[in-house]
Amino acid sequence: MKRLRWRWWIGAAAFVAVPFGLDSYALHVAITCLFYAMMATSWNLIAGYTGQVSFAHAAFAGIGAYTSGLLAVKAGVPPWIGIAVGTAAAGAFGLMLGVLCLRMGGIYLSLATLAFSEILSIVVQNEYEVTRGTMGLQIPGLLPTYSKLSYYFVFLAAAVGTVWLVVRLIRSDLGLSFRAVQNDEAAAAASGVDVVRIRVLAFTVSSALAGLAGGLFGHYLLLITPTLLSLDQMFLVLAMAVIGGLGSLWGPVAGAFFLEILSEYIRAWGEYHVLAFGLVALVVARFAPDGLAGLARAVRKGPPAPGRPAPAAGGRS
Amino acid sequence: MFSLAVVNGLVMGTIYALAALGVSLVVGIMNVINFAHGEFYILAGYFSYLFADALGWPVAAAMVAAVALVFAAGVLVEYLLIRPTYGNDMYSLILTFILSIVLQNAYLHIFGPYPKKPPNWVKGATNFFDQFYYGNQRLVALAAGAAVIGALFVLIKTTWFGRVVRATSQDREMAEMNGVNTVGVNLVSFGLGCALAGAAGVILSPIFPVTPTAGVAVALTSFVIVVLGGMGSLWGCVVGGLVIGLVESFGATYVSTGYKHLFDFVILLGVLLVRPSGLFGKPAA
Repeated sequence: MKRLRWRWWIGAAAFVAVPFGLDSYALHVAITCLFYAMMATSWNLIAGYTGQVSFAHAAFAGIGAYTSGLLAVKAGVPPWIGIAVGTAAAGAFGLMLGVLCLRMGGIYLSLATLAFSEILSIVVQNEYEVTRGTMGLQIPGLLPTYSKLSYYFVFLAAAVGTVWLVVRLIRSDLGLSFRAVQNDEAAAAASGVDVVRIRVLAFTVSSALAGLAGGLFGHYLLLITPTLLSLDQMFLVLAMAVIGGLGSLWGPVAGAFFLEILSEYIRAWGEYHVLAFGLVALVVARFAPDGLAGLARAVRKGPPAPGRPAPAAGGRS
Repeated sequence: MFSLAVVNGLVMGTIYALAALGVSLVVGIMNVINFAHGEFYILAGYFSYLFADALGWPVAAAMVAAVALVFAAGVLVEYLLIRPTYGNDMYSLILTFILSIVLQNAYLHIFGPYPKKPPNWVKGATNFFDQFYYGNQRLVALAAGAAVIGALFVLIKTTWFGRVVRATSQDREMAEMNGVNTVGVNLVSFGLGCALAGAAGVILSPIFPVTPTAGVAVALTSFVIVVLGGMGSLWGCVVGGLVIGLVESFGATYVSTGYKHLFDFVILLGVLLVRPSGLFGKPAA
């Protein structure tokens, strides 16, 4: 435990010190990494810890960004308040979808979130008089003066906050219920866990965190476009979480940094990089379903991941 | 306007039903949703374009070859990607979603972003009671779609293969105990599900040329139909397909074409609110 804490401090010091040595482009990459780390971590809360796949995570980020952006542009609401409203809006949509679908089980949530995500992007593209459609909506910055370094620390704080919240949830008594639900629904229900409520809670928190990430990212980019809530974006977040390792705390963060930095290196390949990521994600999901985190664990010969059954061969459950 | 919307709705509804039957079959048997369903539809469209237009094959031969190849692709996907996930529904969702993104991007690189259109089977238009002219191609599509659906029902309801499939989807363990090779059933029925998407693709692609991402809308519509009809119910797909086809057609005629798919989503929410098991589904325990 002592040694672990020691490593922790080194990591924290690196995160605080390194940006001072980075140029503007590298800072942009670092901020984008932190944004994706927030997205992948919050998606992991629902997918990795309760076993429900939401395809609307990018859509919730879009809700956060467009809510805050439109409030700022149309009503002059300060971005900080706008982001809070956007986060709440994403959480509210998550709650509604969750209540509707989650008592029916996982497949329904996946279908409804996919439909929701498509509909939202159709609405944003069609209502161009309000959202400026694919032209993008110009919105004011979060900070009075534009400084990448300051933005970096805002995102660092938000990412740490997101990870902290997820850790707190997982390590609480609720977290035990999360994992019980994921391992064996029937057994969890029999032991007095309110399965549907746990799932709805996880989904609502996860959606709200996506809204927060989206709101912050919008006010950093100063321009929000429908690509923020596209399925391609959703795929990136999913690939990061899967490659990093679902159901592990640091896996999705590592996956986000890994894929985002990699994508900067292979930018020269242009359009091919989504295809390349897809193939990598497919191979990882197929052959190493625990991702980088699982590989690291295997290398250290530690015990297998707590609380996540490996996909077993043989008849369906 | 009204009668045109009805005919349009019937044509689209039949093809939607065909695509949705592929989803429903696989859900009923394997409890797996194939998120790349729409991409198999597109794949068949591209194959029939490639064979008929670029290689100059007869249209019928191109269509049969396209559907057969999509069936083979489906079998391959089941064997390579779905089989290792038996018992873990979440991974099949993730794998097929990644597969759909991979296929969309592969299509984009191979065929480019512009629509590709296989040749029409027939020419001209028919006068409907002096009300409107309707393209013969669409009428033939309606007939072809209905014929394939009919053939599927005969296959499922009357043949030995159909009995095995129905047994597996009703009670997997009992079927196994009676000597059914359920792994083989999974393989063939996943291929068949993809082939049904492919059949819808070859029938509809002369009317709506295929683009790399057009499959998303097809898949979504199929999913909504499957939920509306009741997961795993084949009759539910036919009824649900016609309902969705008509709703979209009337919505596009009288409300807005841009929001055609919004009506699907509203129906999906309505079903989840009122009767989550769908029209023909067994209510959940």
